[in-house]
Amino acid sequence: MHEMSLIRSLLKQVERLCEQNDGTAVEQIEVEIGPLSGVEPLLVREAFEILSVETGCAGSRFVIHEVPLKVRCSDCQAEFELPSFVFICSGCQSRAIQITSGNEFRLLNVTIQANQAANTPKPRGGGYETEPIA
Amino acid sequence: MTTMRKLTINQDIQANNKRRAAELRSAFSDRGTFVVNLVSSPGAGKTSLLEATAKYWGDRRRMAVLVGDLATERDADRLRPYVPVEQLTTGGACHLELSLVERGLQRLPDEDYEFLFIENIGNLVCPASHDLAEHLRVVVLSTTEGDDKPGKYPKMFRTSQAMVISKSDLLPHVPFSIDAAIDDAHLIQPSLSVFSVCSLTSEGIAAWCDFLEDARQRVQNLANVDQECAEQ
Repeated sequence: MHEMSLIRSLLKQVERLCEQNDGTAVEQIEVEIGPLSGVEPLLVREAFEILSVETGCAGSRFVIHEVPLKVRCSDCQAEFELPSFVFICSGCQSRAIQITSGNEFRLLNVTIQANQAANTPKPRGGGYETEPIA
Repeated sequence: MTTMRKLTINQDIQANNKRRAAELRSAFSDRGTFVVNLVSSPGAGKTSLLEATAKYWGDRRRMAVLVGDLATERDADRLRPYVPVEQLTTGGACHLELSLVERGLQRLPDEDYEFLFIENIGNLVCPASHDLAEHLRVVVLSTTEGDDKPGKYPKMFRTSQAMVISKSDLLPHVPFSIDAAIDDAHLIQPSLSVFSVCSLTSEGIAAWCDFLEDARQRVQNLANVDQECAEQ
């Protein structure tokens, strides 16, 4: 049950992002979870609901996108979705399979309410882009 | 007046941890220390494997151990007669994290170890998701656990480079097929190296230790090439 510790660090990261961008509130957090991420989406959501209460992320929408396990065969180059954790190419039976998607537990984006004056993105070394919406 | 803004991040939630782990791994490589993360269910025989490894090498190899448990110093006490060891107690946490490893390192005598073993918490789930700056992840599977285990814990077996089948002396008494266990594991990770050992009798320990020495040498060769490139 390490979802708790991962969500705790996610919440800290989002709070920091909000602060760095002169945000006044966090509206929405979108994450992506793959079958080999090592976390269970249901438990991630529960951890978020429990842990976000006392943070700057309280009351925000938490959106989880579940992504499938996708692989590429190194021999025949076929790309396909793997229905189970049996790493064999459905085309040529090769076992030289590379995962292209499915390992991830990623933070995709964060929507914040920000002061109007802060609308011009300030580069603060975070390595992310901002876009105004509506 | 406020406005809504969407910040595009698109970053692994553990990105920071993974970067720190990669830096530490690189520092270990430069010092000539090969780091092994030992994972398994509770009671599979990680500590016994380390005892047998330490006894086999004796003074020929400099090894140290960081051993994780929820509570007690029992595993450290077992290993202390043979090697420098630090017990990492997590309280209740189900896996070791990099910060605990860093703290343990500070407490170990400051020497250039050839091998550092990190004995993780007995758990085949959470430790699979945490990079501890190891060069090699080894999953220990005991013959009493059942040969159908790899398929049930795909992430752990997928992210390991070697599998040690322990308690081989019990094979005549338990319904465990080494071939079935290997076949099941290879469906998940075909490049997994496999060793069958009995830590109590030292059967198979020589091959396991030879494998570790080869693996360390490969990392050393790469580190030397990197240093030469940096110097040029």
